[in-house]
Amino acid sequence: MLKIENLHASIEDKSILKGLSLEVKAGEVHAIMGPNGAGKSTLANIIAGKEEYEVTAGNIELDGEDIGELAPEERAHNGVFLSFQYPVEIPGVSVTNFIKTAINETRKAKGLEDMPAKDMLKMIREKSELLEIDRKFLSRSLNEGFSGGEKKRNEIFQMAMLAPKLAILDETDSGLDIDALRIVANGVNKLKSKDNAVIVITHYQRLLDYIVPDFVHVLHDGKIVKSGDASLALELEAKGYDWIKQELV
Amino acid sequence: MELKDKLVSSYVAFENRVETDSEVHEIRSRALQNFEALGFPTKKLEAWKYTSLNAVLKQDYSLFPNKENNIQLADVKKYFIHDIDAYKLVFIDGKYSSFLSETTHDTFDVCLMSSALVKPKYKAVIENYFDKIATKDNLTSLNTAFASEGAYIHIPKNVEVEKPIQIINFTTGSEAATLLQPRNLIVVEQNAHVQIIERNQSLTSNPVLTNSVTEVFAAKDATVDIYKIQNDAENASLVDNSYIEQKSKSIVSVHTFSFGGNITRNNLNFFQRGEHIDSILKGITIIEGKQHVDHHTLVHHIAPNCESHQDYKGIFDERATGVFNGKVIVEKEAQKTNAYQKNNNVLVSDKATINAKPQLEIFADDVKCSHGCTIGQLDEEALFYMQQRGIPKKEGKALLMYAFANTVLESVKIPEVKQRITQLIAKKLGVDIGFDL
Amino acid sequence: MSKYTEEQLEQELKTQEYKYGFYTDIESETFAKGLSEEVVIAISKKKNEPQWMTDWRLEAFRVWKKMEEPEWANVQYEKPKFQDIAYYSAPKEKPKLNSLDEVDPELLDTFKRLGISLDEQKKLANVAVDIVMDSVSVATTFKKTLGEKGIIFMPISEAIQEHPELVRKYLGTVVPTTDNFYAALNSAVFSDGSFCYIPKGVRCPMELSTYFRINEGGTGQFERTLVVADKGSYVSYLEGCTAPSRDENQLHAAVVELIAMDDAEIKYSTVQNWYPGNKEGKGGVYNFVTKRGLCENNAKISWTQVETGSAVTWKYPSCILKGNNSVGEFYSIAVTNNYQQADTGTKMIHLGKNTKSTIISKGISAGSSQNSYRGLVQIGARAENARNFSQCDSLLMGNLCGAHTFPYIEVKNKTAQVEHEATTSKIGEEQLFYCNQRGIDTEKAIALIVNGFSKEVLNKLPMEFAVEAQKLLEISLEGSVG
Repeated sequence: MLKIENLHASIEDKSILKGLSLEVKAGEVHAIMGPNGAGKSTLANIIAGKEEYEVTAGNIELDGEDIGELAPEERAHNGVFLSFQYPVEIPGVSVTNFIKTAINETRKAKGLEDMPAKDMLKMIREKSELLEIDRKFLSRSLNEGFSGGEKKRNEIFQMAMLAPKLAILDETDSGLDIDALRIVANGVNKLKSKDNAVIVITHYQRLLDYIVPDFVHVLHDGKIVKSGDASLALELEAKGYDWIKQELV
Repeated sequence: MELKDKLVSSYVAFENRVETDSEVHEIRSRALQNFEALGFPTKKLEAWKYTSLNAVLKQDYSLFPNKENNIQLADVKKYFIHDIDAYKLVFIDGKYSSFLSETTHDTFDVCLMSSALVKPKYKAVIENYFDKIATKDNLTSLNTAFASEGAYIHIPKNVEVEKPIQIINFTTGSEAATLLQPRNLIVVEQNAHVQIIERNQSLTSNPVLTNSVTEVFAAKDATVDIYKIQNDAENASLVDNSYIEQKSKSIVSVHTFSFGGNITRNNLNFFQRGEHIDSILKGITIIEGKQHVDHHTLVHHIAPNCESHQDYKGIFDERATGVFNGKVIVEKEAQKTNAYQKNNNVLVSDKATINAKPQLEIFADDVKCSHGCTIGQLDEEALFYMQQRGIPKKEGKALLMYAFANTVLESVKIPEVKQRITQLIAKKLGVDIGFDL
Repeated sequence: MSKYTEEQLEQELKTQEYKYGFYTDIESETFAKGLSEEVVIAISKKKNEPQWMTDWRLEAFRVWKKMEEPEWANVQYEKPKFQDIAYYSAPKEKPKLNSLDEVDPELLDTFKRLGISLDEQKKLANVAVDIVMDSVSVATTFKKTLGEKGIIFMPISEAIQEHPELVRKYLGTVVPTTDNFYAALNSAVFSDGSFCYIPKGVRCPMELSTYFRINEGGTGQFERTLVVADKGSYVSYLEGCTAPSRDENQLHAAVVELIAMDDAEIKYSTVQNWYPGNKEGKGGVYNFVTKRGLCENNAKISWTQVETGSAVTWKYPSCILKGNNSVGEFYSIAVTNNYQQADTGTKMIHLGKNTKSTIISKGISAGSSQNSYRGLVQIGARAENARNFSQCDSLLMGNLCGAHTFPYIEVKNKTAQVEHEATTSKIGEEQLFYCNQRGIDTEKAIALIVNGFSKEVLNKLPMEFAVEAQKLLEISLEGSVG
């Protein structure tokens, strides 16, 4: 589904990704771990198409097509979803209004009519129940005054609504207490299918207790330096990242 | 004769007494023409909408008091921040008092404008800085036309002046009414640091009008802190025109404490010519009777990545009037500007008035600017709470007012100044309590 | 009369810059250009007005001649040449309407293009409409239904004939003829407008609405609106404005007076979409309007405005809170794009005890436009316990425009509580990327964010207007992102 080859990227002339390759197939869950500053969030933003990063070499393919030149919304229309580490606030725009616009814009791009209001409401009800979201919450301004946990739950709610092909969860566990973590992870697991894929970006292994990865990759200094199965995450948790660094030397 | 005519016709006599063979002469002549054309400000001017000088201008001012008046240190000691060592520039009825002053020429200059204007040694500085940023408005032009005496402070590169400089203008009342026009120039070179305390003090109840102009230049990385203590006698009025130009990474703060005087008008103007500048403008005004204090501030953000912080507190009792007009201009080049302005006022009496006009003019899109202005009362609940715990109402009120004004005091860097202001506030509020907890 | 060809019209509609920029080919009667006592008398005569009305106009004209055009607003424009304007233009053969079938089909077509279908409105929406085209009221709907409740809603020219005692009693009491340059001009030459009277204790069962349109070239529009809500009554009033796209600047100088007697409430909403000029700043309407309301005891006046049009706007809908416990509100969205200039805001004059006012102003500047908020909150010495809350938020798009706030606050009473807040912000890159990531393109994302920014005000509009206003915001900002 996603194929990244020899990706080099920089921001303001500072090189961050230095030859990263990764292949994710449908139905798989990949975890990307690594110390702070390794380039984890950069990778997520580049897949989503954030413009301030410059891709200097390599390419990103989604279902065999190069998406490197596509605008962020076009990538979204093709099924790329990024759950932001720090979701932005948009004052005055309610969660409902926002997600309605997102869904209808995506449908428009595919040549479909707007989703009928009745269906939209039904889906909102279903998905908000899945994530144990209070209806009142949906009429509040997007992310404005939300707690850390509410922001992350709102991200996964949007993911549920948009049903993406490829979901990238950037540090979704940060700022979550144990109950919220369980709700979010449960939501992600219910959305998983053989046709979609998930990339979990995290610093700690605790989220991976709930969302069990098929593959774990360690990102260090802009490259994937080690890959393995779920046990690699436990090993990292036990030994810390220094262990990887030493191994590299 | 009207004061304007009197001033204009006295110009020739003034010229005869000062050096005319210099560039400054040109500047003075042009300024006089300017003043002649503009006249004194009237309420028709937007900038003077809420402040009338009419009554003040009716006095028959003596323009150039000629007598040498001496005063005893013991009589005026209380007007100095005397418990700290400081350089002093003291003027009595507009004339320099060498007896009360302490100047220096070691490594840096703390001396007199009258000599700076004529001695070749200062020529370069005067040419570069004198009358360069002062706007050509009516009262500034009037001051420039007659500019002859005041403080001249020049701090060279990398010098940190270890003790503050106090500038005090005394009027003795030897004339029935006195007009003073001090002219100050403060040049602080790269990475230099200086603290200045200014005060105008009339020693009798005879009317005084002071129209002062101060130009301050803060070069790259310079730090300048200015404290203006305005606690003059009830017949003394003041128009303080201050112009401050800042270069990259400089920090300039001006604290203005207005408690006394008749009409006080502060025109405080900041021009940011460089990046990463911080400008701090703070003030506490506590007045009563028929006192009138008007703060007109301007922060002109010209370059990117700069900040400005304004915080003005006002407490108005009896028939007092407060004016706050804070203007922030952000030019289109000044991206990433952060400009904050706060103006909070309490009216204590039914007869007091506050007129506020916080004004933003913004031409850049990537900026954070905000202003907040409130007018309200002291918290009655809090007052009752304190009374219930045995604090009398008057003291309780004073405590609340002090707390209200305290955000301004927090940034005063000289402990003795802070202590003095605290005492003045207690006195002004008529209570005998220490606010320091 | 210059005529547009079909192609020109089509071309104009195609550009979509200003969708109301068509011109209706209706034969009209227009006075020769210029202003004098004779013209004022002629207007009055044309309208068959009583002598007191003629005298009133003449007095206003004499005052106006001595006045100077105000300069204090933060706008720059070429001053209108007052002798180069025709002060009266009316569709010839003013239709006497009993039913809509009798309306000139060309006129009906105009309304259709304006988005007002009189037929449908009559059947579906609960809105009574008065249409004022080039200063003359051409159609008023729902007269009968309103009449049953004793509500008078008619062109002011008719009201002068039919209810002279009411008009004479209230006209010019809130905005005196001498108030300002444009109010004086309006008083001298206004040719029509709407008059509305709600009797004691009556709650007006429907929204009353007036659509204003300048059609003829070389004319000015000077309409006069007077709304009187008697004790304990309620009315919600809507006002919409459009004009053809013309290269010349057209002058619109209206006066609106509201009187809310004890316990009455008036809601006055405006969607102002006069032609703003083209992308280079050529043409467009000069919109110099005086709007003011007077509140007696326990009365309430709310002004809501969405200002997207006009080349230059100068407008301060105000409330005089004379009665105790009266309430004034001002909710405004002002959008400027290209070379538009707006200087708008409100005055809240607190005279009575326990009076309250709220000001929410949202300014959005794009292109090379200048957008200013100018407001006055005045608390008089006798206004015990007055409260005001003001919030002025500006949103800047691009680096050629300007946003300015000039709030004046004058307080003479110690029990007053006044709070003023202002912020300036821009649409963040992060916000746009977030929207893009969820599949929303940049243009749509901006519309979404602007709507969110303006929400507090949009919520105050009646439903029918809110939808129109949202669309207007989108259209006004089209192409503002480079």
